[in-house]
Amino acid sequence: MSKFVGQRVKRTEDPRLIKGLGHYVDDIRLPDTLHVAFLRSMYAHARITNIDVSEAMNTPGVVAVYTGRDLGEKIGPVPCAAALPDLKVPDHRPLASDKVYFVGHPIAAVVATDRYAARDAVDLIMVDYEELAVVVDPEEAAKGGAVVHEKFGDNVAYKLTAGEGDIDAALASADKVIKQRILNQRLAPIAMEPRGVLARYLPGEEELTVWSSTQIPHLLRTQLALMIGIPENKLRVITPEVGGGFGSKLNVYGEEALLGWISMQLGKPVKWIETRRENMASTIHGRGQVGYIEVGCRNDGTITGLRYNVFADLGAYHQLLTPAIPTLTGLMLSGCYKIPAIQINVTGVFTNKMATDAYRGAGRPEATYVVERAADLVAAELGLDPVEVRRRNFPKPDEFPFKTATGLFYDSGNYEAALDKALQNADYARLREEQKRARDEGRIIGIGVSTYVEICALGPSQAMPAGGWESATVRIEPTGKVTILTGASPHGQGQETSFAQIAADELGVDIGDVTVIHGDTSIVQYGIGTFGSRATAVGGTAVYIAIERLKEKANKIAAHLLQADISKVVWDENGFNLEPEPAKVAAGAGVPEADLPAGQAPGASLPEPQIEGKKSLSLQDIALAAHLAKDLPPDMEPGLSATYFFEPKNFTFPFGTHIAIVEIDRETGEIKFQRYVAVDDCGKVINPMLVDGQVQGGIVQAIGQALYEEVVYDEQGQLVTGTLMDYAVPKAAMLPWFELDRTETPTDVNPMGVKGVGEAGTIGATPAIVNAVVDALSPYGIRHIDMPIKPENVWKIVNQQS
Amino acid sequence: MIPVQFDYVAPATLDEAARLLAEHQDEAKLLAGGHSLIPAMKLRLAQPSLLIDIGRIKDLAYITEEGDQIRIGAMTTHYQIEASERLKEICPLLPECAASIGDVQVRNKGTIGGSLAHADPAADWPAAILALDAEMIAVGAQGERTIRAQDFFVDMLTTSLEPNEILREIRVPQPQKNTAQAYMKVAQPASGFAVVGIAVNLTRGDDGRCQSANIGITGVAAKAYRASNVESALAGNALDEQTIAAAAAHAADGVDANSDLYASADYRRHLAEVYTRRAIQKAIAKL
Amino acid sequence: MKIEGTHELQARRERVFQALTDPEVLKRCIPGCEQLEKTGENSYAATLRAGVGSIKGTFKGNVRLEEIRQPEHYRMIVDGKGQPGFLKGTGAIDLEEQGDATIIRYAGDVQVGGTIASVGQRMIQGAAKMMASQFFTAIEAEAKTEANDPPPKHGFFRTALRWFSGWVRRRFRKKSGA
Repeated sequence: MSKFVGQRVKRTEDPRLIKGLGHYVDDIRLPDTLHVAFLRSMYAHARITNIDVSEAMNTPGVVAVYTGRDLGEKIGPVPCAAALPDLKVPDHRPLASDKVYFVGHPIAAVVATDRYAARDAVDLIMVDYEELAVVVDPEEAAKGGAVVHEKFGDNVAYKLTAGEGDIDAALASADKVIKQRILNQRLAPIAMEPRGVLARYLPGEEELTVWSSTQIPHLLRTQLALMIGIPENKLRVITPEVGGGFGSKLNVYGEEALLGWISMQLGKPVKWIETRRENMASTIHGRGQVGYIEVGCRNDGTITGLRYNVFADLGAYHQLLTPAIPTLTGLMLSGCYKIPAIQINVTGVFTNKMATDAYRGAGRPEATYVVERAADLVAAELGLDPVEVRRRNFPKPDEFPFKTATGLFYDSGNYEAALDKALQNADYARLREEQKRARDEGRIIGIGVSTYVEICALGPSQAMPAGGWESATVRIEPTGKVTILTGASPHGQGQETSFAQIAADELGVDIGDVTVIHGDTSIVQYGIGTFGSRATAVGGTAVYIAIERLKEKANKIAAHLLQADISKVVWDENGFNLEPEPAKVAAGAGVPEADLPAGQAPGASLPEPQIEGKKSLSLQDIALAAHLAKDLPPDMEPGLSATYFFEPKNFTFPFGTHIAIVEIDRETGEIKFQRYVAVDDCGKVINPMLVDGQVQGGIVQAIGQALYEEVVYDEQGQLVTGTLMDYAVPKAAMLPWFELDRTETPTDVNPMGVKGVGEAGTIGATPAIVNAVVDALSPYGIRHIDMPIKPENVWKIVNQQS
Repeated sequence: MIPVQFDYVAPATLDEAARLLAEHQDEAKLLAGGHSLIPAMKLRLAQPSLLIDIGRIKDLAYITEEGDQIRIGAMTTHYQIEASERLKEICPLLPECAASIGDVQVRNKGTIGGSLAHADPAADWPAAILALDAEMIAVGAQGERTIRAQDFFVDMLTTSLEPNEILREIRVPQPQKNTAQAYMKVAQPASGFAVVGIAVNLTRGDDGRCQSANIGITGVAAKAYRASNVESALAGNALDEQTIAAAAAHAADGVDANSDLYASADYRRHLAEVYTRRAIQKAIAKL
Repeated sequence: MKIEGTHELQARRERVFQALTDPEVLKRCIPGCEQLEKTGENSYAATLRAGVGSIKGTFKGNVRLEEIRQPEHYRMIVDGKGQPGFLKGTGAIDLEEQGDATIIRYAGDVQVGGTIASVGQRMIQGAAKMMASQFFTAIEAEAKTEANDPPPKHGFFRTALRWFSGWVRRRFRKKSGA
């Protein structure tokens, strides 16, 4: 029964988005809306000695100006959900009061009748600063010197050691120990739609509605209720169309609370749409780790131990998950290998920069990069083929569930199968021969392999700060149409399509008869959100199980109406049938249109279900009967809907192999892709087109990190990559063709066998690309090169040697 | 990303535009395609109190031939030049350069005149215009004058246009036969601007030797320049690999090269040399 | 950001130094200087309307001269703040006599912040060099006059710039003519 699941169904979201008919926060226009603009610090660290807002206040159109001193503690601190022992948590309010801690730190909010007046008035606020010593480099920050938060005495927010096995013994007894310093540079998530908030308080109803471009409407509602001090049941969060997040909107920002609070003060709607410059400076960044690898191995390539000492650049404040991100790195340090001893030592440090937090992969790309670079370092040290080193350390398919020295149980996997398929698709042996020939001709070609595993479907609630389940309500309306309410509010992933595919197949209806509703806390039951590649595996499963529940009820009603024992009523795509044989209805009929009497609204008078003499009842017949409730089994609730909160037993662990082939221009160091081959295994696939899209987008962001992107602060903490003129996001013309393929190893963590794929591309591809460049440069004695790999750096290497 | 308040006028004639410009001097800016000025205004780095939109003036966008000159109206878009079949035939450097500018959106809106008058140190057009030895026709309150490309670019974002002058037309000498042209650039991956951009316009004599060579280079220094040492090393010599390589090595002679996040001054100079050689080779390969 | 440069001025060192430390002259020569008021011994409050091309901003700040060793050396400390950001700098200026000409060497550290730092990355150094050129070109014109002569006609940004452009053009012609 899978007419839709597994098919390349076109996204039902796209027509409205392509035609410009979607509604993002900024498209929502309410009468009398006031507009907010922020004054943000241009210093990385300074004491505010005076703020004069009088001139700003006198600007025509300006209604109010709020500073940190005006706010005091009226709005609660911006929350951090990471629970780590002895974590230092600075008091983080929506507006700076005494000091600013990073460039972009909001200082004052101007509220005016239009955006222009608000922005003009920002320039008229006079701030006197007394500059303070700035700390930018995380390693320097850990050593001492300038301190970000005076009250803590130093910059170390926390230290954490994790891992199992005797790492000291493992490294001491290894045949070889290879050490390498590696950098996971800061990145900016750059969602196409920046953040935006519209807040409307209705003083009569005492209700606050907040429209926000977020990945987590329900979690945001709870946190905003606590911050603003409004009852949660008087606060409604609506997440309209969201133009991407990549983790940057898996957060609770000061601006969201402040806008809600301002609307309550003024009794009018207030709106703030983030500018791109604000987005670069004041929306979370990702990555930001400087680490030291020590990897021990035997001469045959068996990895015996891995230690990663890492300085995590947290920035000046904790956002929602800031300090927790490096802990995910620690969890994934085993990669797809059997490594008996693993240790991570994290030093999380404050710096005078914007906070880091979850960015596509959130700690796992960092881990995969460490492990996959380590595997290549081992191969280079021992003169082995990088593929052989990987193969030697894989757990075999019959070793699953597989326990790692980081304390995880990998659910299922067949790493060798994905590797073999990728090698075959790339024709690896021939590539190596070509590489040899090319080198003889003086060309510089590199082949990079990365075999990755990632942790998805976040996650069991035990492992999550605020619930790891997901919810769904599935409802058959009286006319037979299907409504799904999902807590996994999407931000571009296509759940409206993929969840409808699941429902259409399970309910035997056409995909067009299913509507997926999300992102409105007053309509949808509580949900967790879309992040950590969880939407399908957790949210989709909730939909799937809710449908099973709904069908159980429908089955009972069907048996009652057909006057048969429930054991004699069997479901097939056409409905509930009295006999085991499928009813002879033309395939693909979907939901028959309700046969309404002409001229009568359905509410006034619904058709009677025609039961008499039938041996088969469509879902629509049953839904109508359940709604009319004239003939239901005794004690049966009317209506046909089911709600399910799915709690997964474990994470899922998708995996795959990525192979990048690059050629380097000997004279200039410029890097060109020759080919890019990927084989991903995300378990069972609901929509191959959506999976391809996720993998492609993921690889693009990996190319960004490997070759182009880098958030740069200068020594004084000035953000020098403040616009897209300097921060290089890869464009279509800079990309190779992606040769994508899949293996399919289902998981038993959820009944559909799906694992998740939202971050796989980013996780798998980054090390493949760097490994390819390092492989290319290996004749020059190069074992490692830091990201982003700029042509000039490559040129220097080649130039020095030739 | 909201500019400060400004007034906007869209005069119907060039005379009217020139009059307004003379009247408001420094406080006014001409708006052509707007792809440099508007971003600067949104960042509040440019705050003109008056925008004079010359986009509504008729007949400022054209590509014609007059005697031995190609004449291009200042408001001709990059795309119009890129797509001109006639230019591809008679002066391929122009469409080749146009095609390398920014992206499709920029090329559809941005104009050759706007780009030249803005004189971004990493813009593509200045290299081509220098290599073609073009003339700029400027209109001001005192009438028209002709400025040679060599005299036009003064420094970063600075041209020899007077504050009350408007660039009206670009005149390019018709290339003679046996002329070889090419434009090559290394684009900065974020902005698409030229890290280095090399425009080659050279003529081969009947004896197979280089008769004359004009090399324009952008992106390397505070303003685009003619690589005169490369030119003189080519002129009168056989266009063989060795000569070209030796000549190209002079691409950044005496240049105070820019340095930024993406490329150091040394690397820029090196790229200028490599791409000068490649651009010359690319050009003569077409002969 | 480090900036450094050398300029050869066709004027005697004594005169050049005098010009460089005379607030009236500085006011005329600093590109875009709209105001320069003495606030103490060798320190001044200044308002600059500085920039290149259409990119301009108004800065208010202070200029202080230190380590004055007439006629060969001083150190200049500048800080300014405005809507597009802030700038701070300190630099040493050394004057070397070469017959009737003077070689000026400057070397300093400039720090910029705010919008100009985060969006002007690729142009800041060029802009700084350009403004230094404009400044020294104007100083040269001043120093060529005799002590009691009326000042040369320049002063504001545009004039200095055009003068400078002309100078570049003349140099260029000289060069290509040679």
